[in-house]
Amino acid sequence: MNTIVRKQMAIHPEVMDLLNNQIEMEMTASASYLAMASWCDQRELLNSKAFFYKQAEEEREHAMKIFTFINDNGGAAISPDVKNVNNDFESLRAIYEMGLEQEISVTKSIFKIFKAARKEDDFITEVFLQWFITEQSEEEDTFRSIIDIFDLMEGMPLKMVDERLPKA
Amino acid sequence: MKYEGDIQYSYQIKQSTFCKYVLIAPNKAVELNFPQMLELRRKINGLTTYNALSEILNSHNFVLLFVADRQHLIYLDIPQLLKLKEEIASFFQDFNTVSA
Repeated sequence: MNTIVRKQMAIHPEVMDLLNNQIEMEMTASASYLAMASWCDQRELLNSKAFFYKQAEEEREHAMKIFTFINDNGGAAISPDVKNVNNDFESLRAIYEMGLEQEISVTKSIFKIFKAARKEDDFITEVFLQWFITEQSEEEDTFRSIIDIFDLMEGMPLKMVDERLPKA
Repeated sequence: MKYEGDIQYSYQIKQSTFCKYVLIAPNKAVELNFPQMLELRRKINGLTTYNALSEILNSHNFVLLFVADRQHLIYLDIPQLLKLKEEIASFFQDFNTVSA
């Protein structure tokens, strides 16, 4: 059986499984950001709603990047089952904090796949994931900067805080 | 190509051509292409997690599984399921991008 599988696919089967889990994670993040966008939209928090609609799209784009990568390399990408999306939030600040936690989980998961790819000598996936690592660093920074604004503007009306936040 | 002579109680996987594989079941031989092999691997991995096995043990003690784009239905009891998992794992085990 040696090399039979290698002739059909360029990425390691177990790394492919982890990538499929990552697709599910990115799509769950996308659905979660959509729920956050809706919460902001209903409260006329215009910058935050634009930010989260954009985040939802971006997470879906990440999932699609991985999805096509798996199939392009001979694997089988699995369309994920996204369930139990939370639509109930206590405050705008809590939403951004939740967003940061979500981004940290995604970063950790990317690192896990990166390590697995390195362990299995799956250099194709390793190089592919480098873009995601840079992207996650930027995403985390965006959320941290926003939470800093909440600290700096503590006590100000919510609408005023929202107007100081980035749209994307 | 004839596979009847190789038929055994357990399920086996053999390569037929470059992109065709054969799943030899106790009563038939099912031809699979590579995407169908990947789908079989996914289903078997899903059915052999601790929770899935407990559920099978507590219900009918067997599973019926569609394979090859739902063209064939196979019967698997727990030992067969575990043996097929091993067979698939060994099929995918030798994946190496570089030699040491």
